[in-house]
Amino acid sequence: MKLNWQVFATLLFVALAFSGTTDAVDGGLINTNAIRTIDLRSLPAVTEQVGVVVQNSHDSKAAKTYSVYIPHAKADRLAKVTVHERKSGAELQVSKMDNEHLGNILPPQPIEYRATLLQPLQPGEKISLNIDSVYLNTVEPRPKVVEQTGDQTWLWKDDACILSAYPINKEKTVVRTNGEIKAYSQIKESSKDGKSVTFGPFINGPSPNGPVEVRFRDNREQLEALTHRREYFVSHWANDLNILEHYALRNRAPALEAFDKVKQTMSRFMKARDNFVKTLLVKVPADARDMYVVDEIGNVSTSAVTRRQRLDGDAFKVMQLKPRYPLAGQWNYTWWHGYSVPLSNYLRVNHNRHALRVPFIGSIVGSASQKEEIPLTAINTHNTAVNAYELRITLPEGATNVDVRVPFNVDSIRQLPQSYYFDSSGRTVVVIEHANVAPSAVDAHVLVTYDYSVLSLWQKPLVIAMVVFALFALTSLCSRMQLGLAAAKPATTATKKTQ
Amino acid sequence: MKVLGLSAVDQTRLLRICILGLISVVAIGSRLYSVLRFESVIHEFDPWFNYRTTKYLVQHGFEKFWNWFDESAWYPLGRVVGGTLYPGIMVTSAAIYNALHALNIPVDIRNVCVFLAPGFSALTAIATYQLGKEVKNETAGLLAAAFMGVAPGYISRSVAGSYDNEGIAIFLLVLTFWLWLRAVRVGSAMSAAVCALSYFYMVSAWGGYVFIINLVPLHVCVLLAMGRFSNRLYVAYSTFYALGTLASMQIPFVGFQPTFTSEHMAALGAFGLIQVVAAAYYVRARVTAVQFRAFVGCAVVLVAALGACVLVVLTMRGAVAPWTGRFYSLWDTAYAKVHIPIIASVSEHQPTAWPNFFFDLNVLIWLFPAGIYFSFRELSDNHVFLILYSVFAAYFAGVMVRLILTLTPIVCVLAGVAVANVFEAYLSRGSSGPGVAQVPRAAVIGAVLFLLCSFQWHSSWITSTAYSSPSVVLASRGPDGSHHIIDDFREAYYWLRRNTEPHERVLSWWDYGYQLAGMADRPTLVDNNTWNNTHIATVGRIMASDEDTAYELARRHDVDYVLVVFGAMLGYSGDDINKFLWMIRIAQGVYPNDVREQDFFNAAGEYAIGDTASKAMRESLLHKLCYYRFGEVMGAQAFDRVRKQRLPSSVSLHNFEEAYTTENWMVRIYRVKGLDNFGRSHHEAAKFDST
Repeated sequence: MKLNWQVFATLLFVALAFSGTTDAVDGGLINTNAIRTIDLRSLPAVTEQVGVVVQNSHDSKAAKTYSVYIPHAKADRLAKVTVHERKSGAELQVSKMDNEHLGNILPPQPIEYRATLLQPLQPGEKISLNIDSVYLNTVEPRPKVVEQTGDQTWLWKDDACILSAYPINKEKTVVRTNGEIKAYSQIKESSKDGKSVTFGPFINGPSPNGPVEVRFRDNREQLEALTHRREYFVSHWANDLNILEHYALRNRAPALEAFDKVKQTMSRFMKARDNFVKTLLVKVPADARDMYVVDEIGNVSTSAVTRRQRLDGDAFKVMQLKPRYPLAGQWNYTWWHGYSVPLSNYLRVNHNRHALRVPFIGSIVGSASQKEEIPLTAINTHNTAVNAYELRITLPEGATNVDVRVPFNVDSIRQLPQSYYFDSSGRTVVVIEHANVAPSAVDAHVLVTYDYSVLSLWQKPLVIAMVVFALFALTSLCSRMQLGLAAAKPATTATKKTQ
Repeated sequence: MKVLGLSAVDQTRLLRICILGLISVVAIGSRLYSVLRFESVIHEFDPWFNYRTTKYLVQHGFEKFWNWFDESAWYPLGRVVGGTLYPGIMVTSAAIYNALHALNIPVDIRNVCVFLAPGFSALTAIATYQLGKEVKNETAGLLAAAFMGVAPGYISRSVAGSYDNEGIAIFLLVLTFWLWLRAVRVGSAMSAAVCALSYFYMVSAWGGYVFIINLVPLHVCVLLAMGRFSNRLYVAYSTFYALGTLASMQIPFVGFQPTFTSEHMAALGAFGLIQVVAAAYYVRARVTAVQFRAFVGCAVVLVAALGACVLVVLTMRGAVAPWTGRFYSLWDTAYAKVHIPIIASVSEHQPTAWPNFFFDLNVLIWLFPAGIYFSFRELSDNHVFLILYSVFAAYFAGVMVRLILTLTPIVCVLAGVAVANVFEAYLSRGSSGPGVAQVPRAAVIGAVLFLLCSFQWHSSWITSTAYSSPSVVLASRGPDGSHHIIDDFREAYYWLRRNTEPHERVLSWWDYGYQLAGMADRPTLVDNNTWNNTHIATVGRIMASDEDTAYELARRHDVDYVLVVFGAMLGYSGDDINKFLWMIRIAQGVYPNDVREQDFFNAAGEYAIGDTASKAMRESLLHKLCYYRFGEVMGAQAFDRVRKQRLPSSVSLHNFEEAYTTENWMVRIYRVKGLDNFGRSHHEAAKFDST
């Protein structure tokens, strides 16, 4: 009884807390049907699509918004949420609701995202919505430890029922994988069909609400970048855009049971599969030059770059980085690489107004292939999840009125002062931070506009010339001054010698 | 004749500056082979420690650096870093680094460290010019500077990346000697004080300062013995000794040593002597010859007796420390091998083989005696110094390979003097005669120029082939001439750095201690500091013991990983199996009951590793860690490429498990297994698992 009282108290408190705020969830909506499709075919990103039919069952009030709940447990793995109207395909505006005011109440509350409907939903009307969310790294290897050449088995685990702000009349969940299903939760409504598993349909709410799981084999590489920092340096003088990327990478594959050098050598010789990630592929622009790969203790000399390639009308080169050691499951590797591209390809100038348009993030692909030359198509597989991302754009000295545009919401955008290479007045660095970057962000661009005058261009040479001139003048002055009391003796060049 | 509006004197001055500038460029340029061939990386072993401490200094500031206790070295003892190093090189780099950053130049501290020694080599050339000018004239100075810039004997210690104390210390050595000679010539307290300042910098940079503090007093004593006492000498030495000694005591690692160790007693004695002599001269100016003779007779006996008594008493009471082992080994080359194997085990402490002199000094080695001859011919105070320097440096260079380094400056200066004399004799304007008479002159000048050119050629060749390998990164050439980089060391160190816990301790032979600390950033048991022989012997004993004893000892020392270097796949001869005898000898010195060198030779007296190896060898941990499963990948009939012997047919290992092995098997890392869950020994567990 005591337990029930606690639950009741909590619910009461939550209800009070919700009612205390002005922006409560629109009441009266009902999900008459919900189908959740979980796509595990492009790990480590997990795509969830929930198609819902929403009905306004309220007597009189029209609903303007639709709330989406993200379970608290998955909230810090969430990369992206979008809501579309199914019929028109129009994307709805989604904003994250602040639930900080709830404090640390237990159980932890779901995170609320609120989509604004294009037209208010009148009482009795229905609308179909598609809610797409992308999570990173929610699938874990089970068993955690395997043999060097063993199969990788992964575990997907989630609630059988969809978490929603509104009641759900009928729902079902489909889990699609890319490999053989090894096991799945045997409940009444579960069924397997080839590489996918269906849970449901459940009528009227959660009869068996509890976690369900699917274990499946997937031997493709999965990596996560614990941190990834991309830096752009803009140099107008050299018409040069320098790009530097720092990575701290981890192979998400199950850990090694025991390292076996003999077996590793043999499988390399036999071109047999193992779980070591041996090559990292980085796509760089076709006109990239001056490439390098370095880690904390020096050059990584085992890397190569391909000739100019062409795929789907897109010209590029591929840097094939070989880490110092092959990456077994759960092993880490940290390094940075860089290259230069001509600035004019990324910069538009209109009088003094400069517009710099650069990719938001670069992609990296890990490959366990034993081949020397990795097939070109591998470059477009997204198998690296970026957990913490930082983008730094260093503008030239003298750039003012800096304006930054990113096509989606990011965690933070800051502008910092910084000084490099003989700077006299310092320059601006734009710092963008974002956790859990969705794979689709690879195609996004950042637009930075700033004012930059001709005078700023000449600032540095002028300052340096003045400093050098001042030094000469000072030296000249000093050499002409006589500081001693006696008259200077003529310089003796010959050494005194005792004969 | 005026050129560019300059008088003849100004023209030669401008020319000299230009020549010195070019010499500097050549000196720096010839040291960059290693960066061009490989990369901007810290070389060898000790530089990694210097680099690591410099990084610490830059990150944490001087105060913290001074009081740094490094608990990750010499686990579990730790090391008081601030008090056990010569901070000169770190402070120099940090100063350059901070100056560049003040100018908003974001240079990496690694690059400052890598290019420090080449930069200072240019300064050394200029200091050598000054020294040559001091003892002879500008021509000798320029020649000496040119020799110094490219002499392989000095390049061997100052290529880019060779971030060691010697890199700046040779500059300071030459600078101090030049300032000393200048102080003796000028005789002002000011110039002697400048010399003392330079000496202080030298003390802060390198233990080789002892050479200065013995050579300068020796110079003074010899001059006194030659009856060349002068007030200039008195002022120079008194000022230099007083200021220099006080300044040197400010370095914590030196501390009060100048007051009680034998190495510094000569300087103190010379200081006393010059006071006595000065007093004698003072007295002589005021009394008659007879009285003076009596006075001198009494005084000499009294002072000598008193001095000897004090020294004996102090030495017996231990107040004056006896000579350290490294100094004994300077007198008796066989001493170290018998008594202190740890010193003898270092290749740079071996006696020099004669081809080394030619290799490192080439033409200079026979110009050197000529220079000494010219010094004798006009025996000035300066020349006495040069002769003393030559004699002692030549002796020490013969005893220990690395001391060719201190010989190089004097060889360059004297060679410069010799060649300058030749030029003087054959290029003087007065001796112009008819055409036929010019032929021998042209021949001599041509021959000398040929020698000089061949010296330059030899130096570049030696530098590029012998002295530009970082030893951290190895290179090999394929049969088609292609360049292969062998990077196993960094592969292993980086693996440790990224894939082990920061507190986990790595056991390896002491050679790799500094590199492990610098590149892998993990605590080590022993490193290249070698201050605790017992600890090193313990590591040697672990390597030489059988698996169970080693496991017991390793666990008792909290070891998590064991790292061994193994060259059998590539034929890398500097591996641990080849160093094993030294490990055994050092271990035997401390644990004579547990480790015996004799046990590691088989019945035929061979140092075998295959199936014919002795029992102790086959059961030793090092042998097992090296050859564990190696045969499986090399095939049944495989050979060890270093020792040219058949591999052992079976190697069992239960208490340690393979954690990582690099691409070419050069570095193998093993994890020390935890205790078995059922309390069995690991052998029993393995037996159970296999059934």
